Amino acid sequence: MKTQAELKAIARFVAEYATRLMGSGVHTSRVVRNTKRLGEALGVRVIVSAFQRVVNFSVFDDESGEVYSEVVDIPPLPISFELNAELSALSWEAYDRRLSLEEIEARYREIIARPRIDPLFTLVVVGLANAAFCRLFGGDWFAMSIVFTATLLGFFLKQGMQNRGFNHYVVFIASSFVASMYASVALTFDTTSDIAIATSVLYLIPGVPLINGVIDIVEGHVLNGIARLTSALMLIVCIAIGLSATLMIVKSGLL
Amino acid sequence: MTNTVFWQTIADYNRMSWPVQVLLVLAGIVLTWRLYRRPAPGVRRVMKYYLALLNGWIAVGYYLVACDARSYNGVMALFWGVMAAVWIYDDVVGYTTFERTRRHDRFALLLCLMPFIYPLFSLLRGLHFPLMTSPVMPCSVALYTIGLLLAFSKRVNLFVILFLCHWALIGLSKVYFFGIPEDLLLAGALVPAIYLFFKEYIDLHFRSDTKPDRRVMRLLLAAMCAGLGLFFVVTIWRQAAALA
Repeated sequence: MKTQAELKAIARFVAEYATRLMGSGVHTSRVVRNTKRLGEALGVRVIVSAFQRVVNFSVFDDESGEVYSEVVDIPPLPISFELNAELSALSWEAYDRRLSLEEIEARYREIIARPRIDPLFTLVVVGLANAAFCRLFGGDWFAMSIVFTATLLGFFLKQGMQNRGFNHYVVFIASSFVASMYASVALTFDTTSDIAIATSVLYLIPGVPLINGVIDIVEGHVLNGIARLTSALMLIVCIAIGLSATLMIVKSGLL
Repeated sequence: MTNTVFWQTIADYNRMSWPVQVLLVLAGIVLTWRLYRRPAPGVRRVMKYYLALLNGWIAVGYYLVACDARSYNGVMALFWGVMAAVWIYDDVVGYTTFERTRRHDRFALLLCLMPFIYPLFSLLRGLHFPLMTSPVMPCSVALYTIGLLLAFSKRVNLFVILFLCHWALIGLSKVYFFGIPEDLLLAGALVPAIYLFFKEYIDLHFRSDTKPDRRVMRLLLAAMCAGLGLFFVVTIWRQAAALA
C-alpha cells in the first residue's frame, strides 16, 4: 500500500519520464505504454492523457484507493532516437527486474546525462545526407556538392537561431531561404540546378512529427495526431515560404 | 552564359573600376598593416566595415553593374550583399575579435598576398589588362578574407567560413565552366584553411558532454579534408593535362 507521499514521488518521476519521451519525438501510444509499464513495475496504475503541449497524469493505488494527479508541460527537446530507445528499455528493465523507484531514477539520470551528438558533427552529417538526397533525386556530382555547402550554411543558421531562441517558424523560413538561395548558384552553371534548389531544403522537412502524427491517428490518439500533423504542416508552409522567396528573386516566379 | 561573356565582363569591370580597385587595395594594405602592428579596438572595428565595404563593392560594383550581361548576376550580388550585412551584424554583436593567434602567420600572410598573385598568374598565362584577373574580384577577396581570419582566428564567424567554402566550390567549377585556372588558387588554399579553422573551432567549442570525442572529431576532420584535397588534386591534374 502506497502513502500519499510515495504516490506523489512516483507521479513526479513518471511525469518527467513521459514528458521527456514526448519532447524527444516519441509517438503518443508508445509514451502511454511505457508509462503504464513503469507504473506497473512500481505497483501503481497510471492513466495518461497526452496533448500537444501538456500531459495529464493520474496515479492510482488500487489497494488504498489513493489517487494523485498532475498536469505537466512538455519541454521542447532535441529529437533523439537513441534516448527514446534507452528510455523504453528502462521501462522494460524496471518491469522485468521490479526495480525500486530510487534504482529506476538513478538509471534514468544516468541515461539522460550521456553525451549528446556534437552540433558540428550534426552539421556535417546533415550536409552529407542532403547531398545524398540530391543524388537520389537525380542530381549530378556538382549539384550534390552545391547542396552540401548550401545545407551547411542553412543548417548552421538554423542552429544559431535556435540557440538564440528565435521563433520556430522564423527559423524555418530563414533557413529555407538561405539554403535554397545559396543552392541557386547552380543556375549559373550547366548542371541539374532545379534538383539542387529543390533538395537543398529537404533537411528541414519535419519527418518525425509527420510519422508520429500518422501513427497517433492510426493508434487512436486522433487529437494528438492531428495536432502533430498541423504543426508539421505549418513548418512545411514555412519551408515553402523560404523557398518561394528564393524562386521569386532568382527566377522571377515560382516555376 | 558563355566563356566570352564571362571574360568580357571581367574586362569591362577592370576598365571601369581600376581607380576604385587601387583605392580599395591601398586601404586594405594600410588596415592589414595596422591590424598586424597596432591592433587597437578602433582598427578592428574599421576592418569589419572595410570587409563590409569590400563585399558590398563586389555585390554592387562587380556583379550588379559590371556583370550585368551575365545571367543570374543578381543572385551573386545578393550573396555578397548578405556577406556585407553579416560583417555589419558581426560588428554590432562584437563576435569576431580579430585577435592574432600567431599560429599560422606564414600561411595567413601568403593568403593575404593572394589578391596580388591572382593578376600575376594571369600575366604568366599571357593575358593582358583589362582582360585579366585583378586584386578586387570575388575569389581574390575570398582568399584575402580567409588569410585575414586565419591570422586573427581566435574567434571567427563560422558562417563567413562556410560561405567562403561555398564560394571556393563555385571557384573550382568556374575553372571547368569558364576556363579561369586562377581560381585553383582559392580551391587549393581552402583545404588547409578549412582544416585549421575547424580544428580551432573544435578545440574552442568542444564540450565534454558531447560525442564523438575530440580525438574522433579531429580524425573525421582530417579525413574530410584529405578527401577534399584529393578531389582538388584530381581536378588540378585533369586541368593541367588538358592544358598540356
